[in-house]
Amino acid sequence: MSRAVAALVVLLAAGLAAALGLAMLDLPEPAVRLPARVAAKLGDSGVDHPVTAVLLNFRAYDTLLEVAVLLLALVGVLALARPHAARAAAPAHPLLQTLARLVAPLMVLVAGYLLWIGAHAPGGAFQAGAVLAAAGVLLRLAGLLPAWAQPGLLLRGGLALGLLVFVAVAVAVLGQGSLLQYPPAAAGGLILLIEAGLTLSIGLTLAGLYLAGTEVEP
Amino acid sequence: MTDFLDPLPWLIMLPLAWGTLAFVLGPGRGGRLAIAAIALQGLLVLQLAGQLLAGGARVHAVGGWGAPLGIDLLADGLAAVMLLLAQAVALPLAIYARGYFAAQPKGRELFWPMTGYLLAALNALFLSADLFNIYVTLELLGLAAVGLVAIAGGQAPVTAALRYLLATLLGSGAWLLGVALIYGSYGSVSLAILAPLVGADAPLAATLAAALMLAGLLLKTALFPFHFWLPPAHGGAPAPVSALLSALVIKATFYLVLRLWLELFAPLTTVAAAQLLGILGAAAILWGSALALAQTRLKMLVAYSTVAQVGYLFLLFPLATLVPPDAAESAVQGGVMQAVAHGLAKAAMFAAAGSMIVATGRDDIGRLGGVGAHLPLTLFSFGLAGVTLMGLPPSGGFSAKWLLLRAALETGQWWWVAVMIAGGLLTAAYVFKVLRRAFLPVASGDRVTRVPRTLEFSAFALALAAILLGLFGAPLLALLAVGGAA
Repeated sequence: MSRAVAALVVLLAAGLAAALGLAMLDLPEPAVRLPARVAAKLGDSGVDHPVTAVLLNFRAYDTLLEVAVLLLALVGVLALARPHAARAAAPAHPLLQTLARLVAPLMVLVAGYLLWIGAHAPGGAFQAGAVLAAAGVLLRLAGLLPAWAQPGLLLRGGLALGLLVFVAVAVAVLGQGSLLQYPPAAAGGLILLIEAGLTLSIGLTLAGLYLAGTEVEP
Repeated sequence: MTDFLDPLPWLIMLPLAWGTLAFVLGPGRGGRLAIAAIALQGLLVLQLAGQLLAGGARVHAVGGWGAPLGIDLLADGLAAVMLLLAQAVALPLAIYARGYFAAQPKGRELFWPMTGYLLAALNALFLSADLFNIYVTLELLGLAAVGLVAIAGGQAPVTAALRYLLATLLGSGAWLLGVALIYGSYGSVSLAILAPLVGADAPLAATLAAALMLAGLLLKTALFPFHFWLPPAHGGAPAPVSALLSALVIKATFYLVLRLWLELFAPLTTVAAAQLLGILGAAAILWGSALALAQTRLKMLVAYSTVAQVGYLFLLFPLATLVPPDAAESAVQGGVMQAVAHGLAKAAMFAAAGSMIVATGRDDIGRLGGVGAHLPLTLFSFGLAGVTLMGLPPSGGFSAKWLLLRAALETGQWWWVAVMIAGGLLTAAYVFKVLRRAFLPVASGDRVTRVPRTLEFSAFALALAAILLGLFGAPLLALLAVGGAA
């Protein structure tokens, strides 16, 4: 990049920063107060935690599309992963292997707890899935899991399960009047069902971003 | 029971479901499923168009909450026209892709899942009435498009995909920053809630948000001088991918520019900003056409032609901003007609170019000799698509340019007329450059092989649709008028 272009980029960025600062000083009082509306409808959402209520009920449609984004990211990685990259895992230090064997089951337990607690406290499918994925990465680093060449049918099914369950629930309740309109009595159960599927799929997807075609040097 | 069959949610859920199922089925599988599902999506759009013509624009409150707590889907005339275009282009291209990947297997493994997500993102984007939800659809769309560019592997396509990824992420980032500023100013991201608020009072943050969102969209639409990422990405991908990207993906962000300009940010628009967009459009037409003429690779020529044709879309802004309503209506109709005509014609052109490359075994305009004799239908499709791009009667491109010309003359902005005529001549020059080569006999040492008939007929169907659009454009304009966008 030439110096003139670099100077232009710096000038533009500085101008934007200054404009953003000015805009912040001039920010009006918002006309709509969404947190109050969320609090008012929380009782109808099927869960007690406002973040979960927004993610899985009020704006569940955003979350559904985000889950598709996550799976699509992995599909993109698989398209680029080279088959020869999927060699057997290199053996790691015995201490690391023993530690990973001990910790991985506990991490699965933590994931289950985070999934369950999401209805009442910070937690839920994304956090639980991230912990599951971390367990997968740890096992891979310890040389206990092979990298993925091309995921088999069972693995592909597990990756897709969360999104498929979400879409199935979304259209199954169309009889209520609209997409993702849970019957109030069943909302809590349906959200747990969706989150359970998501936990597994998000865990596999995030782990897959690491396991698909990565090489670990011993 | 009628709720179950509402086309709005199904248009989004159906491609998500078949894209995911195609992934589960395994590498290269799911083509027939995709074709059947896209045909069903086409029927759903026709049903939706019927509903709109009979009863006006429709809102679907996802979750039953309604804005501002929930997310609304909105189907008005403009959204319905874009949905119609998307399914009308996708169906022949899906049939084409099955034949194409049978002949050129490189990249077929994950084509169908990515295409499913691409169509889901397009349909969701056209139907969204929520700024943050639109951001999510932009992410899905951008990632699917980048993945499709990289799908065949190899250094050049992956480099192009990475450059495209960085450009599209920068665009999404600008959009998201704008959404944050809007939410901070008004407390909502629903278009319906925001429109009267922006009209009543627009602080600096709102103006800044409008500028950022517009800039992000222009980058994603590849308007001159933001076109740098487009030719290598569209020119290097497999032919069905190039066709999908050129015909539909850049139209999605153009659709957002149009919707924001005409609705949410209408109180902030100025003649100067509109003229600037028009000047960039004019520069795109001249620069893109000139570079198309200079190309030696067939797909790069078609890709630069897209850079030029995007320019025509942006001529509508100076012709529709702060002018008499008659002229503005004509300009918007012309711009949307151009989006539809170019979508159909460019899909046909990339499909035909792909067939020629399969038949000659190389992507080289100088070695097209014999294509006219061995693939007459494909060459005819290429020519018909060229007729639409040039804007000759009776094509859809002619209707589009005629509507734009009328608006230009009514508002006394004759300089845009000169740009359109120059663009048409340059387009003719690069189309004839290809046709002239293709009519020559086969050069010694070259061979032209046959291609599957599905490749020839699907390209022809698209090219024919672009021509018929000019003869039967009236119902489309009637649909566009539903809901007051135009």
